[in-house]
Amino acid sequence: MADGKAVAAGPPAAVVAKGDAAAGADPALFTFAEFDRDAGERIGWSNYSYWRSTLHMFLRNRVALFLLVLLGTILAFTFLQPLLPNQRSPTLINIDPATGRQFRNLVPSAEYWFGTNSIGQDLWSRIWSGTRTSLLIGIIVGVVEMVLGIAFGAIWGYVRKADRVFTEVYNVLNNIPTTIVLMLLAYIMRPSFQTMVIAMCAAGWHGVARFVRNQIVIIRDREYNLASRCLGTPTHRIIMKNLLPYLVSVIMLQTALSIPGTIGWEVFLTYIGIGLPVSIPSLGNLVNEGRLIMMAPELRYQLIFPTIVVSIITISFYVLGNAFSDASDPRNHV
Amino acid sequence: MAKYMLKRLAQSVVTLFIVVTAVFLLMRLLPVEGYLGERYDKLSPEQREAILQKMGLLDPWYVQIGSFYSKLAHGDLGTSAIYRKDVPVLQVIAPRVPYSVRFGLVAMALSLAAGLAMGVHMARYKGRFWDRTWTVYIVLINAVPSAVYLLFIQLYGTDLLKVPLLFDKYKFQSWVLPAISMSLGGIAGYAMWMRRFMVDELNKDYIKLARAKGMTSSAIMVRHVMRNAYVPMAQYLPAAILATVSGSIYIESLYSIPGMGGLLVDVIQRQDNPMVQALVLIFSSIGILGLFLGDVLMAAFDPRIKFAKSEGAR
Amino acid sequence: MDGRKPILSVRDLVVKFDLRGRTLTAIRGASLDLLEGETLAIVGESGSGKSVFTKTFIGMLDQNGRVDSGSIEFEGADLAGYATEAEWLRVRGRKISMVFQDPMTALNPLRSIGRQIQEVVEMHRGMSGRQAELAAIELLDHVGIPDPVRRFRQFPHEFSGGMRQRVVIAIAMACKPRILICDEPTTALDVTIQAQILRLIKALQSDFGFTTIYITHDLGVVANVADRVAVMYAGQIVETGSAEDVFYDPRHPYTWALLSSLPQLGVKGKPLFSISGTPPNLFNEIKGDAFAPRNPRALRIDFELQPPMFQVSPGHQAATWLLDPRAPALEPPAAIQAMRARYPGGER
Repeated sequence: MADGKAVAAGPPAAVVAKGDAAAGADPALFTFAEFDRDAGERIGWSNYSYWRSTLHMFLRNRVALFLLVLLGTILAFTFLQPLLPNQRSPTLINIDPATGRQFRNLVPSAEYWFGTNSIGQDLWSRIWSGTRTSLLIGIIVGVVEMVLGIAFGAIWGYVRKADRVFTEVYNVLNNIPTTIVLMLLAYIMRPSFQTMVIAMCAAGWHGVARFVRNQIVIIRDREYNLASRCLGTPTHRIIMKNLLPYLVSVIMLQTALSIPGTIGWEVFLTYIGIGLPVSIPSLGNLVNEGRLIMMAPELRYQLIFPTIVVSIITISFYVLGNAFSDASDPRNHV
Repeated sequence: MAKYMLKRLAQSVVTLFIVVTAVFLLMRLLPVEGYLGERYDKLSPEQREAILQKMGLLDPWYVQIGSFYSKLAHGDLGTSAIYRKDVPVLQVIAPRVPYSVRFGLVAMALSLAAGLAMGVHMARYKGRFWDRTWTVYIVLINAVPSAVYLLFIQLYGTDLLKVPLLFDKYKFQSWVLPAISMSLGGIAGYAMWMRRFMVDELNKDYIKLARAKGMTSSAIMVRHVMRNAYVPMAQYLPAAILATVSGSIYIESLYSIPGMGGLLVDVIQRQDNPMVQALVLIFSSIGILGLFLGDVLMAAFDPRIKFAKSEGAR
Repeated sequence: MDGRKPILSVRDLVVKFDLRGRTLTAIRGASLDLLEGETLAIVGESGSGKSVFTKTFIGMLDQNGRVDSGSIEFEGADLAGYATEAEWLRVRGRKISMVFQDPMTALNPLRSIGRQIQEVVEMHRGMSGRQAELAAIELLDHVGIPDPVRRFRQFPHEFSGGMRQRVVIAIAMACKPRILICDEPTTALDVTIQAQILRLIKALQSDFGFTTIYITHDLGVVANVADRVAVMYAGQIVETGSAEDVFYDPRHPYTWALLSSLPQLGVKGKPLFSISGTPPNLFNEIKGDAFAPRNPRALRIDFELQPPMFQVSPGHQAATWLLDPRAPALEPPAAIQAMRARYPGGER
């Protein structure tokens, strides 16, 4: 060593680089400070809270916020509309008292805001009634798929012995185009609300199960779950406490996406003629009724109004689902 | 590789067998009267029974399924009950195959080419103008029911191209709209996945090394990122094929294209059970074949699959 | 500075990252001279910024990161001013190469080993086809891969971790760089393999004559390979000196703490030393000496003013107010004194 005489505190040491920044400093500063053990922890502290960050991220997304308000308004209105005064029944055929004939294909007016359809029913109330029906189907299907999907997906992903069996079953189901499954089931059963729900659940649950299973497999072997298993935690408890909470955001996303999906399928099945019976107004029925007369440009409002409502609802659910999923992903938090 | 393919093939055959059986049994749940169609009212109960007896529909299900298999083995899918009464199903379907195949192939090629290009473009300009623009397209296509937007494409598209609303096989312009309609969903799907897989690849360590090597970003994109992103894309291919097949059912019917999809809608509306059964089987087989080809393709792309799945990287 | 010329000089480098509307200052005015032909080890705990610091030398900061101020002088140019890819490509992979921590993920799993080496040779040495292939095979041979002709065609999954790290080193060596940055090159490897890799890098260094920077938190590696050591804390270099200086005569309280946490320095039967607290959150403004809140013997001024670099001896510097003439004398902790007593060069 070059400097043989160096002692601990160091003899007069030369300052390199910067000038002596502390030249005029108070000599009292060169005394020992009191040591606060907690101060060392505080400097690394960041005020992170999972749900607050999620909310924060979600609120930053202007488009999603706008759609949330829009969708909220529409949903609230859908259920309030029948309670408002001067609303007609969606299935009532309006008849001109003077001539005794039906008010057919009236264009939108002060009396009939969205006009009437080809047999004189009020399109305004039919649209809100149809929205109620379609949303109900969407929500029921979403929830049932979710319950089945999580139950089977969790067992599939977590119980290794079951993996083989479930995988084979899934391979069979997944090989058949969803459209075909839906068409076949709707074809075999009588057209009704229940038929729609059953057919869509049957066609969709295995997709959700697969999704949940993949997520579980990904996190199943993470070290903290391994640790839990080593400590003898029972399987059901690991699934409930360690795995499912992690899945909340992806599950929300799937449910949100299943609603536009169901509405789409409903429109399709109605087109083929195996959807809901015409006596029940639904978005699918309304679009289909509009389609039948779309060649007459003056009657196109009967297609366009339901289409706008369908599009707003499906786009909102889709965008909101994705926005929430992004916001709830801790990797997107700071 | 050969062993893997053989195993995968066996799996497909078993699946096909299960699907055939399930479809057959489900169809047995329908009231047998449906097989009589419009004749139903004109016939006496004895006559009905005689006809059903002759068709073998009153036998126990296991007898029915046995004869169904033996007929199937000889390539006999039964005869149409209503749509074209007493004509063998395959004879009704055969002339329609070329249309479906042509549209299907064109749509698949179109969606693959445009979708991959869009996905690459999005990943290249991630977070910038084009990424956002294409994202809007993807959201619209994914969210709005295809049954709705395809209707508007037909309505205004035919107007714009000055072609009749319905398909006319002698007019080239008539082929354009259905083919584009069939590929819209596929384009959105491919673009979305391609973008995602490329972004995934971009975040991997070997990209860091490639950059540290002094490769240009475009060389990294082409030689490393795109190539690697194709592997998981191959996995997505069969699903896209299924989506195209599903889409063709609606679109063929919408434009009255004389293909198999349009036929399926027709026979469902006319409740022709043997025809429905045959077409459902054909569509399911296409699905099974599509998934098989997708898996084979992926194995061909990824050198790791030739060996044991020791890495479990997928 | 024992006569050798600096090959790379960093002055007051500040690197900032933009994260969701907030700014994180990862490097807070770090200065460092890298001397021609030496092996320098940059040590510090996770998050001290040692990786980010070296990434700025080859322009590989993440997209949201930028050099805010300061300079990096290399071959007469200021790398800190480089903005375009074209500028960086003159340096990156040609003059300065990097070896990464995890060889398992550093290679593209879908391309053959040979192709991945060949493409560097083609890019930087202007060779093509067969010629480049032969050069790549030669490189494989040079880094000690047996049967390189056959190995050339194989894929990464057919190689063990140690073998893959050799391939990564071969890639880094492809254009005979002047500086090799090794970012934790052995952390992901088995202990037996670690020594082989370190030996390989040393051998290559004497063959090719490049300068090496090791980034590591493994002080064992440092003791093995380093000529000089730079200690980093919270985005600053707090002490630099020869390996002997830093190990046997450390001056900065953080270096004391870091060395005291070596299990080898612990006394049997007594609890191991650990540094209390956590490193500071770099989103916040840091006043004074960043280590002060965790330092039981901090001075009052440590909380007020950032200490400048004090020269202890030629080539040995530390940024702590303890070196100011006005500071009270403070004996280093017992473990450090014990270490000093073991100095092989005799009594200090």
